[in-house]
Amino acid sequence: MKDNESILVVDDDPDFLAVIKRILENKGYEVETAASASEAISLIRERFYNAAILDISLPDADGTELLSRFLERHPDIIAIMLTGHSSVQNAVQSLNRGAFAYLEKPLDPETLLSILGRGLEKQRLVLENRKLIEELEQHNHINNTLLSVSQAVSQSLDLQEIIDTSLDKVAQYTGIETSFVYIHENERLVLMGCHGLSPEASKTMEKEVDRDTGIIGRIFRQSRPVIVEEWKDSTEPTLAFLKNGDYRCFAGVPLAILGESIGVMGVATNTTDCFSHNNIELLTGIAREIAIAVRNAQLYEDASSAKSLRELDSMRTEFLANVSHELRTPLAVIKGSANSLLQPDVIFDEPTRQYFLQSIDKDADTLTRLVDDLLMMSRLEAEALEVKKTPYKLTEVVDSIKDRLDNLTARHNLILNIPDEIPMVNIDDVRISQVLTNLVENAVKFSEENTTISIEAKANGKEVIVRVVDEGTGIPSELHQKIFDRFFQGNGRKSGRRKGTGLGLAICRGIVEAHGGKIWVESEPGKGTKFSFSLPVN
Amino acid sequence: MDKKRILIVDDDPAILRLLSTNLKARGYEVTTATDGEEALEAVQKDFIDLMILDLMMPKIDGIEVCRRIREWSDIPIIILSARGDENDKVKCLELGADDYLTKPFGIAELMARINTAFRHRGDAAVAPAQSSFACDGLEINFAKRRVTVNGKEISLTPTEYSLLQQLAVNSDKVLTHTMLLQTVWGNEYSSEKEYLRVFVGRLRKKLEPDPKKPKYIQTIPGVGYHLAMA
Repeated sequence: MKDNESILVVDDDPDFLAVIKRILENKGYEVETAASASEAISLIRERFYNAAILDISLPDADGTELLSRFLERHPDIIAIMLTGHSSVQNAVQSLNRGAFAYLEKPLDPETLLSILGRGLEKQRLVLENRKLIEELEQHNHINNTLLSVSQAVSQSLDLQEIIDTSLDKVAQYTGIETSFVYIHENERLVLMGCHGLSPEASKTMEKEVDRDTGIIGRIFRQSRPVIVEEWKDSTEPTLAFLKNGDYRCFAGVPLAILGESIGVMGVATNTTDCFSHNNIELLTGIAREIAIAVRNAQLYEDASSAKSLRELDSMRTEFLANVSHELRTPLAVIKGSANSLLQPDVIFDEPTRQYFLQSIDKDADTLTRLVDDLLMMSRLEAEALEVKKTPYKLTEVVDSIKDRLDNLTARHNLILNIPDEIPMVNIDDVRISQVLTNLVENAVKFSEENTTISIEAKANGKEVIVRVVDEGTGIPSELHQKIFDRFFQGNGRKSGRRKGTGLGLAICRGIVEAHGGKIWVESEPGKGTKFSFSLPVN
Repeated sequence: MDKKRILIVDDDPAILRLLSTNLKARGYEVTTATDGEEALEAVQKDFIDLMILDLMMPKIDGIEVCRRIREWSDIPIIILSARGDENDKVKCLELGADDYLTKPFGIAELMARINTAFRHRGDAAVAPAQSSFACDGLEINFAKRRVTVNGKEISLTPTEYSLLQQLAVNSDKVLTHTMLLQTVWGNEYSSEKEYLRVFVGRLRKKLEPDPKKPKYIQTIPGVGYHLAMA
């Protein structure tokens, strides 16, 4: 028998009440008596009784009516009706209304105790079942909440997004508006996000806290929840910011995976006693889901930076292979030509000897240019190219390299079409000259002799567009981006013309972009090529 | 004897001119091609005795040219490439190239390699004293340079044939790596073990019923090779 099960006995016979009270109290029940329906009703309003023994005929009411009132208030109450012989009919009716049993007077105490015992046993089962169901529902609620949080936070691999979503979800599912997260990073706990804090509070919040001291550090180190009721008395510095709000109660849970802490989540409320065991369990569960998502995001970040390092490494290897190839070709000509002259088995005639010497001379120049281009390229890539911008007239720039352009286009018709009214541009004239020379060189390489190559310019609002146009082989559209990649070599070179370094257009792009401009190409196979670049007007 | 014609394939005009000047000065006829397509055309059209092939070329690259030519021709192919990567070298040899030279190169070295390639063709080689070799289905007629397995004729490149012949006439001995490299290729090749490995692989592919479990050419680990007598 459970301790202190309480029984209310209602009967208008005081002697009967006294006897029953004694019998029941002897059995360990807590007994209250009432002599009228009205007295009984006021008693039942005050508290719950496990059982009620009701006389069916009371002076101020019908016992079955009273039964209904009792059951209305406490549906689980075990009611035993007492009847005289004449009112058995009423008693049966009361069973239909929800009484557990009825007994006829005169009462046999043994029978009463036995029936009461069975009734209370049934009640205990009902109450226990109900508790189990409630617990199950609570668990379900926790599980559903965790599932929702887990789904929400696993939508992203972005650390900040995960933290922000998490704190939103904490508010949504627990009703706790104020929350924050610290994540372990380089031996410190770094504030990654907060929710629902007043502006003053969030301003005074520590952006980084020590992992070895303070309450946040303790939760992290011990990987256990901590609850502070009425923290206002505490001198905890890491929670001092809560003074700037109407907060009374704080709880912190570790963000942990397999016992290893990766951070701390804190929540605060302005009520006390709100962190029940269930609430802390729920918070711990949510924190675990957040921890998993955070760890995934961290791993993803590590993996992708490792991947980009690998990509960088393979680009470097490819670059070295390309450089090596580009260096070896002119070297092969230099070495082969010199070596030819040194062979004892053949004596070449004078023109051939001259030819070998010229080849050596020419490819030594090619090598020099390649080395210059490589240096320029590495400066551009390190963003270390010095661009000394001065206001210039484009015509001046072109004039300064006119001799070189004439030389390059000796077998082509060079046309310059740069109107005088083109505004001044803010440029490094040496670099822009190089862009023009490279573009004209390209045009020559890919055009038949006696075709026209023109340099044009026009003003277009805040920029000046410069164009180098040829009537050469043209470039298929799928290569329009690729040709600006370093070491890209086109195939349409006119026969007998040497390959370049494959860096010319990459350098042009670098220089133009360093001026804040853009470079692009318009071309179709067989229809010539038009390279354009823009320069901001002074 | 007619002059030998060498096809030079390179997209760099300076290299083409350098090579052709040197080859012509040494009595060779020269044909040039500047890309893979022209090279394939030239091999089909002209009587080419040897080919010097660059790898990085427009249209069809050197590796592809090598692969396609080996489908129907056994002319010696010397790769002349600015790519010094060991992988490229092995890949080209496996595809049927006879030799691989890296730019920059010495003229004398190139000439020596051309001579080695021609020697494999049998022009300068001394035919062995015995006239034929037979063992477990493999027959070699040294006079006709003809190889059959179970009566089926096997087409070998000159270098492959030279290597097989060397193994056959010495079938009572184990031939060391160095011995084979020196006799089949030349003294300057004595450390090029890759060549030997690749060419033994090529021979096994053509001769052996199961190249993974060779019954003719046996590997003597760490020493060399041996052509097994039945």
